[in-house]
Amino acid sequence: MSEIFEQLATFIIEGDDEKTPELVQKALDEGLNAKDILDNGLIIGMNEVGVRFKDGSMYMPEVLMSAKAMHDGQELLRPLLAAAKVKQSGKILMGTVKGDLHDIGKNLVSMMMEGQGMEVINLGFNVDPEKFVAAIKEHKPDVVGMSSMLTTTMRFMGHTIKAIEEAGLRDSVKVIVGGAPLDAAFGQRIGADGYGYNAGDGAELAKRLLA
Amino acid sequence: MQVHKTNYQVNATPRLQVLSEDEIEAIYYAALRVLYETGVRVYDKEGVNVAHSGGAIVEDTTDDSSLVKIPHYMVEKARKTVPSKVVITGPDRRYRMELFKNNINYGGGSDTPFTLDPYTGERRRATYKDVKNFARIAQALPNYDFHMSLGITQDTAVGTYDRWQYLAMLEGTSKPINITAVDLEGVRDQLEMAYIRVGGKEEWKKGPLFSLYIEPVSPLSHSEEVVQKLIFASDNDIPFVYTPCPLAGGTAPTTLAGLLVQSLAESLFGIVISQLRKPGAQIIIGGLMSNMDMRTTIYCYGSPEMALLSAGYTDITKWLRVPEYETAGCSDAKIFDEQAGMESAINIATAGLVGGNMIHDVGYLDSGLTSSPELMVSSNEVIGMTKRILRGIPVNDDTMALDVMAEVGPGGQYLDHEHTFNRFKTEIWQPDLISHQNYENWTASGSKRFNERVHERVIEILETETEPLLDDAMYKELHRICELADARHKDEELDVNMFA
Repeated sequence: MSEIFEQLATFIIEGDDEKTPELVQKALDEGLNAKDILDNGLIIGMNEVGVRFKDGSMYMPEVLMSAKAMHDGQELLRPLLAAAKVKQSGKILMGTVKGDLHDIGKNLVSMMMEGQGMEVINLGFNVDPEKFVAAIKEHKPDVVGMSSMLTTTMRFMGHTIKAIEEAGLRDSVKVIVGGAPLDAAFGQRIGADGYGYNAGDGAELAKRLLA
Repeated sequence: MQVHKTNYQVNATPRLQVLSEDEIEAIYYAALRVLYETGVRVYDKEGVNVAHSGGAIVEDTTDDSSLVKIPHYMVEKARKTVPSKVVITGPDRRYRMELFKNNINYGGGSDTPFTLDPYTGERRRATYKDVKNFARIAQALPNYDFHMSLGITQDTAVGTYDRWQYLAMLEGTSKPINITAVDLEGVRDQLEMAYIRVGGKEEWKKGPLFSLYIEPVSPLSHSEEVVQKLIFASDNDIPFVYTPCPLAGGTAPTTLAGLLVQSLAESLFGIVISQLRKPGAQIIIGGLMSNMDMRTTIYCYGSPEMALLSAGYTDITKWLRVPEYETAGCSDAKIFDEQAGMESAINIATAGLVGGNMIHDVGYLDSGLTSSPELMVSSNEVIGMTKRILRGIPVNDDTMALDVMAEVGPGGQYLDHEHTFNRFKTEIWQPDLISHQNYENWTASGSKRFNERVHERVIEILETETEPLLDDAMYKELHRICELADARHKDEELDVNMFA
C-alpha cells in the first residue's frame, strides 16, 4: 500500500501526467480510500515539489507538469471525495482586472493553485467589477484573486473590492491581488486580504487563507 | 600615380552579426506564415476594418475581437512605403535623433513603478520630482540621445499620469522623448503639449518632439487601446515604436528563433496597419525580447539571451530597412551593484556593436521595476567606452606610423614625439568615473569604490543649478492641460491614495 503512495508521489514530482492517473485508478481498483490516495500520495508529492521549487532545484515548467499530473490524478478522486463529504480544499475565482489584457501571470497562479488541489474558476482578462460580483454570486468562491500588470489598471482592483462590498459579498470571500507593479502596501491600502509576489507565493497565500 | 593595391577593404567600424541573410529570410518568411496561417487577434473594430479593406481575412469574430489573417502580399506592399529612416528632435533642435540602419542612439527606459532614492538608496514609488530629476540627468550626460520617463509619477492622478510625467520630462530635458500614454486621449493631450512646446503643428512637422511607445501584447494580440494609438499616430505624423515584449518560455516559444519569428509577426502587423492607414507612417519596430527565469518567473533584463535576441532582431530590421527599437543598459540586480554594472555593460556593448537604432531602457534595475540614477550615470561611461570601440582602428600611413617608428628606432620612446602629442587625445579614450589612478592616488582621494564615485556624480548633477527650460507662461499652459485632464477623469480615481 505505502509503495503505491510512494510511487504516486514520485510520479507527481516527475510530472508524469500519464502514469499518475493510471496509478490513481489502479489504487482505487485495489480498494484504497480516495482521501488516503490524495493525502498520502498526491499531496505528499506536491508538497515536495513546492519545497524543491522554493530552493531552486525545480523549475517552473517542471512544476507546472507536476501540477498537471496532480490535477489529472485528482479529477478521478473528486467525485468520490464529494460523495464521501470530504471537505475539498477550496474554490478560487481568478481574473485579470478591467482594461488589462495580461493573462499569463494570472494563469500561472491558477495552475499552481490547481496543483495544490484547489478548484479554480478562471474568468480570463479585462474582467470588470460587475462581472467579478456576478461570478461570486454564481460560483460562491472562498477566495477571489485579481491580477494587473499596469499601474493604470491597478485601480480597478480597488473598484472591484468596492463593488464586492456594495453587493454585500465582502464578508463571504477573501480577496487576494498580484501583478508586477503591485506591492504589499498597495494591497493593504485597497483593503485586500493578501498580496502574492509571484505565482508560487499567490498559491501559498490562498492556501493559508483557506486554512 | 602608380596603382599597386587592389581588392582592399576597409572596416571603418567593428562589426557584430548574429544572423546570416539566409537565416533572416527564413525568419521573415516564417513570420509571414504566422500572420497568414495562425493570424493575430485584434480587439479594435476600426483596426479590423482597416486590415480587412487591405485584403486581410477576418474570422472568429466575438463580442470584443476578431482573428485577422494577413496574406503575404499585404506585408510586401506595406514594406514599399514604410520609411527606412525616422527622425525625432528635441525642443532644442540641436538634439536630433536619426534612426536608420546602423545608426545608434541611447536613452532611458520608461514607466518603472519604483525608483531608488538618490539620497537614501531606498526603493520607493517614483514621483514627479524623480521623473524630472532623471530627465535632468539625461540632459547633463552627453551620451544620451533621447529620453524616457524613468519612473511613473505616482504622486499625480493615476488615470492621467502620462501628461504629468511628460511635463516633468519637459522641465528636465530638451532632448527627444519617447512618451507613453494611458490611452488615446493621453496621446492627444501630450500632442497638444508638444505643439505648445515647439510652437505649433507646422513646427512639429519639421521635427516631431516625441515618438509614442505602443506595446502589443504577446502572443499575437493587439488590444483596442494599442490599435487606436497606432491609427492615431499614423494619422497625425507621430513617429511611434511598435514593440511587443515577448518572453521566451512564457509568452513566446522558449527557443530564441521562434521568439524572433513571433515578435516579427507582431511588429509586421503594426507596419501593415500603419501603411494601409497612411503610406509613409513612421514606425519603429523592436524591442524588448528576453527569457523568463524558470526558477523565479521574472522577466530577465540582464540575461545574455536578452542581449542576443535584441542583436538578432536588429539584424532582421536592417534587412527589412525599418528603424529599430533596441534594449540595453538594464539589469536584474535589485540595487546598483556589481551585477548591475556587469549586465548593463554587456548589453550596452552588444547593442552598440550590432548597430541598434533607438537603444532604450538604460537605467532599469530589478527586471524593469525600479529605476536607478546611478545606473544612468555609470552607463553614460560604458556607452562612451562602447563608442570608442566602435570607432575601430583606422589603418593608413599616418596611423601605421612607420616613419615615426623609424625615427624613434629600437630602444627609443614615443612620449615626447609630436606624433603622440598631436593624436593621443583623439586616439585614446579618457575615462571620467572609471579609475585609472595608481594605488597611492586612489587611496589619497579617499579609496572610493566605483559606486561611490558614481553616486557623488548623481548628487552633483542634481544639485547643479540649471536654467529653467520652460518659461513661466509656457509652464502654466502645459500645466493647465494636465489639470484639465485630471478634472475630466476625477470620478475614475479611487477614494484611497493608491501609493501614499
